[in-house]
Amino acid sequence: MTDVEMKPADEKREEKKTEEEKKPIPLTPVAEIKANAALIERAVATFEPRFTHRVLRSLTHLRKRLDDTVLRDAINETYPSDSPSKKAMLSWLPEATVEQSMDIDSTSQPPKQPQPEPVPEVEIYLRLLILHHLLTSQANYPKAMKLAHETIDKMQSLNRRSMDPIAAKVWYAVERTYELVGDLADARPHFLAAQRTAALRHDDETEASLINRILRSYLQYNLYDQADKLISKTSFPTAAGNPQHARYHYYLGRIKAVQLNYTAAHTNLQQAIRRAPPAKTAPGFYQAVHKLTIVVELLMGDIPERSLFRHPVLEKALAGYFEIVKAVRNGSLSQFQNTLSKYAAEFEADKTYTLIVRLRQNVIKTGIRRLSLSYSRISLRDICLKLHLDSEEDAEYIVGKAIRDGVIDGRIVHENGWMECGSQKGGYGPEVSDVFARRIAYCLELHNQSVKMSCACEMSRRANTCRSSPRVTLRFFVAMRYPLNAHRKELAAAEGAREREKELAKEIQEGGDLDDEGPDLGERF
Amino acid sequence: MAPPQLVQLYRELQQVFTSGNLQQTGVLLTRLKIALTQAGLLVLLGNPDPQDLVIARDILEVGAFWSIRTKDIPSFDRYFSQLQTFYNDFSSVLPPSPREYPLRGLNLIRLLTQNRIADFHTTLESLPLRADALTGNPYIAHPINLEQWLMEGSYSKVWNAREEAPAEEYKFFVDSLMGTIRNEIASCEEAAYDSLPLKDAATLLFFKNQSEVLAFARERGWQVDLTAAKITFAKKTEEKVEIQKEKLILADLHYARELEQIV
Repeated sequence: MTDVEMKPADEKREEKKTEEEKKPIPLTPVAEIKANAALIERAVATFEPRFTHRVLRSLTHLRKRLDDTVLRDAINETYPSDSPSKKAMLSWLPEATVEQSMDIDSTSQPPKQPQPEPVPEVEIYLRLLILHHLLTSQANYPKAMKLAHETIDKMQSLNRRSMDPIAAKVWYAVERTYELVGDLADARPHFLAAQRTAALRHDDETEASLINRILRSYLQYNLYDQADKLISKTSFPTAAGNPQHARYHYYLGRIKAVQLNYTAAHTNLQQAIRRAPPAKTAPGFYQAVHKLTIVVELLMGDIPERSLFRHPVLEKALAGYFEIVKAVRNGSLSQFQNTLSKYAAEFEADKTYTLIVRLRQNVIKTGIRRLSLSYSRISLRDICLKLHLDSEEDAEYIVGKAIRDGVIDGRIVHENGWMECGSQKGGYGPEVSDVFARRIAYCLELHNQSVKMSCACEMSRRANTCRSSPRVTLRFFVAMRYPLNAHRKELAAAEGAREREKELAKEIQEGGDLDDEGPDLGERF
Repeated sequence: MAPPQLVQLYRELQQVFTSGNLQQTGVLLTRLKIALTQAGLLVLLGNPDPQDLVIARDILEVGAFWSIRTKDIPSFDRYFSQLQTFYNDFSSVLPPSPREYPLRGLNLIRLLTQNRIADFHTTLESLPLRADALTGNPYIAHPINLEQWLMEGSYSKVWNAREEAPAEEYKFFVDSLMGTIRNEIASCEEAAYDSLPLKDAATLLFFKNQSEVLAFARERGWQVDLTAAKITFAKKTEEKVEIQKEKLILADLHYARELEQIV
């Protein structure tokens, strides 16, 4: 049901995105950086972090179009000629050759009138761009490292709240630098110290980013204990953006899965999927989360849906997992072992190998279950043959365990060496109501999370799209999947949007009043 | 550099430990721990010399083995957590220890016998080995196999593997492991059989003679019919389940509240 309904929304989103992407093409990177600098100025002047957010949203695609000349020009044009920060920043870029600089002079006229010095946020932003640019070539890694440290020091000494969103991104770049240089572990003390500071300053964005950085660094080195302790000692800021939440939930899911707490892991992974950016925008994350989710689902005894493996983004990446799912579904140990050895390298790279090895017992259980459903009496010897077990003796123990664990309902008659399968239990009783209660709790949780998310989404959009009724958007969690940069034009309407936004927030708090949405309810669940 | 007295004691410890004198080892270990603390090597201070660290590590390793031989599990736990610093944080500075993996394996078995499966898996994940190399290391492969067999219920394999321990110390855990398995099997039998001949029960539970079975049966409260040589398991009657009214009411109220918020 939800699938069908989500499709049109998805398509619309795609359209909007392509529209959006077509527009900025005429802008040269230099012009874009300049415009961004202006936006940051404005953000600082008006205490409006959303301008900064908009600037940072363009970071990903801007990053790909950077080169030395672009950066040099951008710095030259935003800063007055005798600014010390300008010189400091230019020193990170190679000297311009004469030919190039002539070129620049002819195309862009240097402003004649003396410019005021831009706010420090702009400098950090430009440094972030330089850092990303330096990371594109291996020769520049040492330089990037130095720049990263200098930038961190600068950021921390400035201590400006208006800088927080940029700072969060800088920390990401710092992590990337350390990782590319190859000693991610060395960065951990920096992150931990900065995380403490950020928490004290209520700098939510940076704190969220840093917690994720630290978790990632722990998991990279398989330090699950420490990661678990970190989680129990910190609280993830709820005001953080969806992408950070998605990452956090993914890491949580990983840790819980290792600790055999599959139900909790599954909940976290579901959250991660829901909060993640659309599949086409961030395919890597989408694939990684799904890989883990499939394994966890299997460990819980569920079989993932077939349609998942037909998803265009996932189909190829999940090939190995699909084979595993098939093996588990058939309860065939030999098929499982073959698949495991065939895709071992892949699973190892995904860090799911040890989790998949744990599936072995599930394969056996499924096998026994299938047998118990199809036979009313079967000899232990046949079970042993059918499931490729090593000995009849083992088969007896395994079947015994399966009966005790409630996988099957039956008895073993030892004297005759066979298993008798009992009839299926009736579908009523306290267990059933427990299962039902769990399901309802899950649905309610899903709904509440979605409301929260679309609410957060509204906040960040501050847009005037949902003119009709804010509740309409809140109602459906598809809403949260709108790309964040869907609206650029309403700079002027910002004030009005904020007003509406406040109303909206109020309405959410009041929990909404009764209206005629009753019949819809049935469809959603 | 470590004080000469410490080195002297360390030499002595090595000799005594290889000769197998447990009591003397214990005495020496206590003295060495004091000496290590004085030299700032037990709780690491400053930037110690790698050579000293190797000595400290060796002493702790001997301590860990000694704890297992004297069957003092909490003491093993302490030694092992101290050793983890050496294994994890100084792995780039120190030459690898030949006793590292036997000890890590022992730690895994300890977790297994204490039925701390979640900790077992967490520890397994954090081993500095590639996942497919785990089975290649005999010390680690042993606990991994044991865990797998225990989980799927191949108890006879566990039983047969008890003599195949890669190191002498592993056998110290066998007894408690066997106790765990017997209880597991017994609970399976209670669920899976109506009755079982005494002789077969003995083989299933890995007992050598009937009197052991009888003692075990008494412990678990099984009815033994000696004339027919049969054990009958008390059939679990379909006991009347009380419907927890309060819980249901609470749940319903909760749903009502949630629905109110949605609509």
